[in-house]
Amino acid sequence: MRAIFKFRVRVVLMVVVGIAVLIAGRLYVVQVVHGTRYSERAKQQFSAAGQSGLFDRGSIYFTTKDGTHVSAATLATGYLVAINPRLLADPTAAYDAISAVATTTLSKSAFLAAAANKNLVYVEVAHELSTAAGQRLAAENITGVEVLPERWRWYPGGSLATKTIGVVGYGTGSTLIGQSGLEEEYDPVLERSGGDLLGNFFAMLFSGAGSTLVSAQGAREGDVVTTIEPEVESRLMDDVAAMNAKHSSHSSGGIIMDPKTGAIIALATYPTYNPNNLSNVNPQLLENPLVSHVYEFGSIMKAVTMASGLSSGAISATSTYDDTGCFHVDGDRICNWNYHAYGVIPMKVIIMQSLNLGASWIAEQLGHTRMRDYFTKLFGTKTGIDLPNEATALLGNLSKPQQIYYDTASFGEGVAVTPIEMIRAEAAIANGGVLVTPHVVSSIVSQSGQTKELTWASGTRVFTRQATRETASMMNDLFSQVLYNGKYNIPGIPVSMKTGTAQLPTPTGTYYNNRFFDDEVVFFPSYNPRFIILLYTEDPKNAIYGTDTITPPMIDLIHFLINYYGITPAMAGTAS
Amino acid sequence: MRKFATVPASSTRPTFSAVPVLAGFVATFGVAYVALMAVVMTYAALTVEFSQSVRSSEAQVATLESQYLSAIANVNSTNYAAEGYAKPIAEVYVPGSRATALR
Repeated sequence: MRAIFKFRVRVVLMVVVGIAVLIAGRLYVVQVVHGTRYSERAKQQFSAAGQSGLFDRGSIYFTTKDGTHVSAATLATGYLVAINPRLLADPTAAYDAISAVATTTLSKSAFLAAAANKNLVYVEVAHELSTAAGQRLAAENITGVEVLPERWRWYPGGSLATKTIGVVGYGTGSTLIGQSGLEEEYDPVLERSGGDLLGNFFAMLFSGAGSTLVSAQGAREGDVVTTIEPEVESRLMDDVAAMNAKHSSHSSGGIIMDPKTGAIIALATYPTYNPNNLSNVNPQLLENPLVSHVYEFGSIMKAVTMASGLSSGAISATSTYDDTGCFHVDGDRICNWNYHAYGVIPMKVIIMQSLNLGASWIAEQLGHTRMRDYFTKLFGTKTGIDLPNEATALLGNLSKPQQIYYDTASFGEGVAVTPIEMIRAEAAIANGGVLVTPHVVSSIVSQSGQTKELTWASGTRVFTRQATRETASMMNDLFSQVLYNGKYNIPGIPVSMKTGTAQLPTPTGTYYNNRFFDDEVVFFPSYNPRFIILLYTEDPKNAIYGTDTITPPMIDLIHFLINYYGITPAMAGTAS
Repeated sequence: MRKFATVPASSTRPTFSAVPVLAGFVATFGVAYVALMAVVMTYAALTVEFSQSVRSSEAQVATLESQYLSAIANVNSTNYAAEGYAKPIAEVYVPGSRATALR
């Protein structure tokens, strides 16, 4: 009896051990031998589950001046409408019911054609119904009409900062991905590959317990918080659009930035588009010219030339030169904008009166090598802004031996830079000589709620502090004494400004005599700057100079920022 | 005379059997497995439900934010002169009173 019992126990044990060995062996084969293959299969199931569920994507936020986050891009929830042609008894009545609540739906003929195709069982006929409209339609209980939950990308501000925020699209695949702007740049952060947890939980387990517990994907995904202030952005957009309309310009744009940190507070271009309705948008409008287009900016480059000359020691603030109104170099003639000969004058008059001869004189004092070095430091590499498709400056003329190319570059012709490169270079004058990294995003908020502050390179010093102080002072003299004879001077708050007017280049490499690119740069308070503003308008039709086209909206923006941020003379700093 | 079976002293010690121990392990693991499955499924269901709820709330907040941004655009595009307001002829800066009693 005892022997039989022992025998049975041993058999049971052997069976248990055998099963355990089989399971262990199978686990070894699955996890070690074919681990990679099964992992891939699991990941495919994981993705498929996500795609079949409701669309999901992280949000992008503006940041108000008091730190509140306001949605720039988010998800809207509502309903889509689908029909089952096999069950649909009265297509005309169904169409009338659907079109009564849906803002966009198929045309009646397309709807009836789809309803007549009895081979189909599911045809989506309307999207993006509001919750109320969807529930109203569902309550009608029309046989063959399905009302299903739906989520879609929505931009609450409409066209507000739209070229910076970007859009999503299908691209080459079946998944919505970022196609431009921050949607494209931060797509890995904004995408949500997790999908429906119920559907993919076992796929997650078989993808590896480690990645289930500590998911790198989960740590990467989150919401994007920008430095863009919505009210300032709205004001800038309004001013840029009004400026463009007033002068029937080809295009216009503007950037407002903190010159000390490179944080971009607002940036706008015109023409623009509404990202919530892309059906008739020209794809070229998706480009952001502030980072992707290069322009010859004209005389605002004189401030950069002046700072380079002062910083290098080639000139000093007390240097003088004899201004003859025009002069010849390499067989070409260079003249002041008004052909006036100013005689022997100090450096600050070059900035105050925007003298081409003076800028050329500084270029000659600098010499080719030093001028090329300064311009290469300022414009030779991309700024590193966190927006896609950043272009690089065209500085080819500064590789040539002829002096005229350096002379023309000194007043902003023959070299082309992007608006973001230009404002960064001017910001170096404002902030004491350091090249900052312009940026639009300040932090990422992970799905777990943790905030990851982004740090941006503080950049390298390009100008001495004294050179930038002296240049800022000259630019302040322009604003307070020369611009409309000091009409716009603001008591207690010094403003530094430089205006620019450049002839537009022709396709053959010459210049139009009657088509211009107007621009202005301003930073204030001059000696403790909070803001730097760059505005431009391309090919204005009824004005020539930047003082006519740009100055009015620029003055409006300066006063708006002073009032909105409560800037007082106590914050202005001093010139010494 | 009745004979009694003699049992060696050593055989009176309790014998160890692996069967009940293994059965205990199996039962424990089985219960734990079912419990874990229940917890995991509940967790997943709640997570999905909360996620949907958060998204719905976010969409409602975004609707309000849209109205706020629209109001800003309206204010910016208002023609104050047409509304009867005049530009100030001068602006001066005066010390503002503190919002709190703190000094």
